[in-house]
Amino acid sequence: MTEPVITLRHFFEKAREGQLTAVRCGHCGELAVPPKEFCASCSQRRWEPVGLSGEGTIASYTVIRVAPRGHAAEVPYAIAAVQLREGVSMLGRVVDLPIERLAVGLPVRFRPLTSGGQTAIGFGPA
Amino acid sequence: MRRVAVIGVGVTKFGKHDRTSAELFAEAAADALADAELPASAVQALYYGNVVGGETEKQLHTSPQAASVLGIPTVPTTRFETACASSHAAFRHAVMDVASGTSEVVLVGGAERVLNVTTEESTEYFAYASDARWEQTLGLTFPGVFALVARAHMTRHGTTEAQMAAVAVKNHKHGVLNPKAQFQKEITLEQVLKSAMVADPLKLYDCCPFTDGGAAVVVVSEEVARKARRPIWVLASAAASDWMLIGDKRDLSRVPATERAAATAYRQAGLGPGDVDVVELHDCFTIAEIVATEGLGLFELGTGGVAAEKGWTSLGGKVPVNPSGGLKAKGHPIGATGAAQIAEIVTQLRGAADRRQVDGAKVGLTHTLGGNTATVLVSLFGRD
Repeated sequence: MTEPVITLRHFFEKAREGQLTAVRCGHCGELAVPPKEFCASCSQRRWEPVGLSGEGTIASYTVIRVAPRGHAAEVPYAIAAVQLREGVSMLGRVVDLPIERLAVGLPVRFRPLTSGGQTAIGFGPA
Repeated sequence: MRRVAVIGVGVTKFGKHDRTSAELFAEAAADALADAELPASAVQALYYGNVVGGETEKQLHTSPQAASVLGIPTVPTTRFETACASSHAAFRHAVMDVASGTSEVVLVGGAERVLNVTTEESTEYFAYASDARWEQTLGLTFPGVFALVARAHMTRHGTTEAQMAAVAVKNHKHGVLNPKAQFQKEITLEQVLKSAMVADPLKLYDCCPFTDGGAAVVVVSEEVARKARRPIWVLASAAASDWMLIGDKRDLSRVPATERAAATAYRQAGLGPGDVDVVELHDCFTIAEIVATEGLGLFELGTGGVAAEKGWTSLGGKVPVNPSGGLKAKGHPIGATGAAQIAEIVTQLRGAADRRQVDGAKVGLTHTLGGNTATVLVSLFGRD
């Protein structure tokens, strides 16, 4: 059995400490968000963990007004798809930024959040 | 591989029901079998779509339950769950089953019951089709997913909120002509634009409703179809997937799974987008219809909003889209939707769609999208 390079649990433990981690394919150089078993570009399995800067820009965003049961008390809240400087993207809750300032292209920076006792991805002002 | 046909269709009224999803499916299936002029005993397998039964009805093992309530307790059954595309996925597998020579007659369908729980609860259950660890923790909703698509499409192509609203107005107009539709009421552009924000920029009238309902179709071999009154031939049935995580999708203004499934379906049928006369596609949100018309090749990338605004997708337009009223007005009982779309296209190709008939329709297309755009099914149909 091959040990996984980065499990989901590893990823979120690191994220809780403020560090986002990706994996880079040692064969074709593809950068991916873990966990991934095989590289979707070359089907190899030669991942190496790499730290991400946490810096990126908003690629798209929305403001949730009608929430699932567990988040109903938090509305309105913004969620953004953020393209990170290294090329991969992540979805995150936007914090400490007024809703009316949100825009595609706005620079943001990763910050760890807690949601229902679990670490979640957040982005705040750059 | 053998030719495959649909010879019977049935759909319940869409809306709120006080019956279980198994009962709703059984009603639709009885209608489909009557339409096919086949006894229930002719059915050799049931392929079934049901999504949130485990939550809203505390019910798993829904496919044998549906078979039992219908009165065919001994046929092999399988439940398919690919979120909102479930019964279209079931259909594709039924087509492969019959095409391979394994079965002669397969019943396909689905049912869903969600209006027995609150909107907050159903919003949570539907969100289970996004990633639990990465996305549900953020409070992502399905309107939220398509709001991200909408913003990306607006940014890249200049699509406007009024163009999205035009899709809702058109589908409500079509829904008036469908007695099975949940909403049979016209709405105005202004009503859509002034409706309450759900997930910016999507407003209440950009979103399809929560719906109870069932749908069924009878899939048979060419040999059985030749004895039927009005067989409609399955020209293609294709599936494609995409990354599960929104973050892993490279361009949120497109749905690559739609483009891949469509390419496969057109290749199977030896047809192109220009051959399609009538389309039932997955307008869970108005932007979803715009992006789907582009992904299916009906309009150039970035022009789906213009097409809706100019009426090219209306009944009487270049390519009528969602003559049934679509998910927006007909309703969206998620486990039943794929089968209901197929039922509409079969009805259209038979020339039996009454006031919503697309004149002279010879080739029809169905497109069903699952959840966060990770699953898409496309099928093509033709008449003799």
